[in-house]
Amino acid sequence: MATAKNERHHVVIGSGVAGSQAAETLRDREPDARITILTLSSLLFYNRYDLPKVFRGHRDWREFLAFPADYYRERRIGMRRCSRVAGVDATRRAILLDHKEEIRFDTLLVASGGRGYIPEDLAEFRPLMHPFSSYTEAVTAAGVVPERGHVIMLGGDMIGLDLARTLLDTRHRVTLVAGPQTFWPHEVGEDERPALMAALEAMGIEVVEGADAGGIASIEKGARGLSARRVLFRDGTELYGDAVMPFFGLVPSVEFMLGSGVDIERGLLVNPALRTTHDGIYAAGDVCQIWSDVERRYRFYYGWKNVRAMGDLAARNIAGGADPWVPAQDEKLHISDNGKIQSPFWEYA
Amino acid sequence: MGDIKPPSDASGAPAAERREYLSDDPRDIGWVKQNVPCQTACPAGTNVPVYIREIIERQFGRSYETNREANVLPGVLGRICSRPCEAQCRHGWPGNGEPVAICHLKRVASDLKDAGHRITERLYSPTGKRVAIVGAGPAGVAAAHDLSLLGHDVVIFEREERPGGMLRYGIPEFRLPRDTLDIELHNALRLGVQMRTGAEIGNGAGQIPMSKLEQDFDAVLLATGCMAASPLPLQGEWEKRELHGLEGVEYGLDFLVQMHRGVKKTVGRRVAVVGAGFTALDCARVASRLGAQEVTTHIRTAEEYIPVTQEEIFEAKREGVRIKGLRTPVGLTVEGNRLTGIEFVQNRLGGWRAGGRRQAIPIEGSEFHEPCDTIIIAIGQQTVNDFLGTKLELDRWGNVRVGVDGMTSHKGMFAAGDYVNGASTVVQAVGHGRLIAKRIDAWLMGRERRKQVVRIVPVEKPLRERAFDFIPRQHMPTAPLAERMKDGKHEVELGLDDKLAFEEAKRCYLCNLRYEIDVDRCIFCRACIEVAPRNCIKLVRGVEINEDGAYGKLLETKEWNQVGAIWIDNNECIRCGQCYTACPVQCISISRCELTEVEI
Repeated sequence: MATAKNERHHVVIGSGVAGSQAAETLRDREPDARITILTLSSLLFYNRYDLPKVFRGHRDWREFLAFPADYYRERRIGMRRCSRVAGVDATRRAILLDHKEEIRFDTLLVASGGRGYIPEDLAEFRPLMHPFSSYTEAVTAAGVVPERGHVIMLGGDMIGLDLARTLLDTRHRVTLVAGPQTFWPHEVGEDERPALMAALEAMGIEVVEGADAGGIASIEKGARGLSARRVLFRDGTELYGDAVMPFFGLVPSVEFMLGSGVDIERGLLVNPALRTTHDGIYAAGDVCQIWSDVERRYRFYYGWKNVRAMGDLAARNIAGGADPWVPAQDEKLHISDNGKIQSPFWEYA
Repeated sequence: MGDIKPPSDASGAPAAERREYLSDDPRDIGWVKQNVPCQTACPAGTNVPVYIREIIERQFGRSYETNREANVLPGVLGRICSRPCEAQCRHGWPGNGEPVAICHLKRVASDLKDAGHRITERLYSPTGKRVAIVGAGPAGVAAAHDLSLLGHDVVIFEREERPGGMLRYGIPEFRLPRDTLDIELHNALRLGVQMRTGAEIGNGAGQIPMSKLEQDFDAVLLATGCMAASPLPLQGEWEKRELHGLEGVEYGLDFLVQMHRGVKKTVGRRVAVVGAGFTALDCARVASRLGAQEVTTHIRTAEEYIPVTQEEIFEAKREGVRIKGLRTPVGLTVEGNRLTGIEFVQNRLGGWRAGGRRQAIPIEGSEFHEPCDTIIIAIGQQTVNDFLGTKLELDRWGNVRVGVDGMTSHKGMFAAGDYVNGASTVVQAVGHGRLIAKRIDAWLMGRERRKQVVRIVPVEKPLRERAFDFIPRQHMPTAPLAERMKDGKHEVELGLDDKLAFEEAKRCYLCNLRYEIDVDRCIFCRACIEVAPRNCIKLVRGVEINEDGAYGKLLETKEWNQVGAIWIDNNECIRCGQCYTACPVQCISISRCELTEVEI
């Protein structure tokens, strides 16, 4: 779709690290193009990696914004907040928003990221948990955990363990119910796990192996005068805490792409140039599975550096490039000489 | 029942002045087929809008009977149907939200009808003709019911000890409670159908030869389904190796059948299920209940493309089943005679196969290994023909070939259900069983005795409110995890209660309501266009007529001097009734159009 000025319309779904980086690169490469970011969030781009700060008393949304509103105005990047995408029609190059508006595009970059995964067997307890994947959720969680309160952390992916560091630092108590998703997205071998669990305990995290207790049977509201939440295990043991926070890794937010004509397995399947199976649609960030010629499989790449590099690469390729994806960060989980866990996923500049 | 009359034009006369009538006009029949997508998609032709409307009116028994006119197993299919209707539901079209929970509402009709509910059957006089049916699965039972209604003497020969076929032996009890199945089978067969269980057809000792059936009966219907598990195609050294007998290797269908015959089944700690259909998912969920610690379903394409409902997938995951996509097994690893793992190759998605399934294309050099203790192979089922004792013409897939009259290459021998179509769904089997019953009746009696017409009933006013369009889909309540995993029989889905059912039923657009504008009375004020929530009222210069006589494409125009009519595009219409209310000259009429059958 070309306008009277013959400018191309690039639409980016998602205003996270990948989407924002892509919009910036696109503007640099195509000064005349029309660029629109659609985001479900009511806030401009903020960094998820900053969210643990809410437990240090930082609750003002302005402190979290990566750029002021003028940034988008100056770069002529249209930012449409609170816009829920209902569907994408790849053939017609059209996006249908939930409020029935249709937006046409020349190229589309899907950078809708991922949302916190809650295992299906715990889905019914969702209303009793406090997820931590957006600013609003973070502020809500911080609001319910009192000073020196006790957080029961389920799963314990690297996002959660990063938060645990802040919680311990701010004199909260953290109990981790560990399971297969502990240390996600790192793939930890059975031989490495005991040392890593010991390192967590050395940090001050109380660790309960969920499987040893037969798995979680239910999450309940505490009675009056008791802690706000109770986690009951199948072996009859229980944990009391002020909040239960799920950290089971991310699932790609791809629902709106179902039926679009673009191939999806768990995420959007893209070639090394980050192009989906449709010529005009690219994907970047936690939402895409990239074909790896080395590993001979589609795989996700996580971490701030990777996600930003994906946004940049997708934009360059949308603007005419044909560069392949090269991972931008190490994925190895280390225990340093002083016994502390070090993860590249905690590195954020 | 009214007389068949030529269709009226779009009369704007009040409903009270119009009469109910039956129409065999192809435009009316075509209208229903085009505009009631759920009914058209249902292989049994269930009159969905009518039974949902009856639920709104809280006439559950009547709703059950409406279902039963098309499908003798509403309580069964209300639980385990593959729901082709919901995939076509207008409420699920882009921009309209989620489809109506048609299947759950079918179950509502069954669950909430009175305990002493009276079943209605329209019986024909006895014909003196005898029909033998081989197989008491859904196709055989549906055909037996219809043939007995039509006055024929029917005997079913069933190999197993109990009737039901795949329903009883292939579907776990946590999805289909056996008391529901037993009641509906009993009701379907109690009109004089003789059921001979434990009666195997074949040429061996103790078996009944097919020639005997041909001799004793006027027609024979083969409805034995697909009861042989398809072998797993492996590569290299495994290509020709026999997998039966390897410790830890099970075939999904045999696994379920044996379990339901009462054989105690066990699985290892890590179970890998290969396959993407209901049988595969059922096997995975059974394995979870049998105590497996890790159950993974390996599929060739992706979750988006597997022919299983989203609810089934969610419940399986809730029970701990994982689904891993883009992989095809190419070999096994064993230690001695014991399975230790599976060799896979990574796939990429290819084009579309005939039948609407995605292709998976293996990627060279991408082999990988996953350890497991048990593999359950559930990649499909095949027909078995060795019991026949006579050669029938087969199609390229090895299924028996039938003509348009439903007859095989052997005179007087008909075939129905999966035995003809290959492994399909229960509702397809029921629909095909009924169709072939009609063909057998026509052959036995020398003429068709029933034909399809449209009953057109004037409706006084819109039956829906615009607010109904914003009701979200009601979710099926399910049993808590701890409760359902106690044994293999606890039903997972608990059914919608009266309140949930009422809310869900209100969501139905009632697509069988036809809104029409009487052009002679229309003053072209555009009031209806102004209030329409969608682009459903159009200015047209004409309407094409399709080859089958049904209305075709609307020839829209924006030039006033070319406007021949203002036309309600019933394809876009969501039956909100706004136009009817807004019209200042009452030139819009509403009628309910229902496909039905009448005696010829």
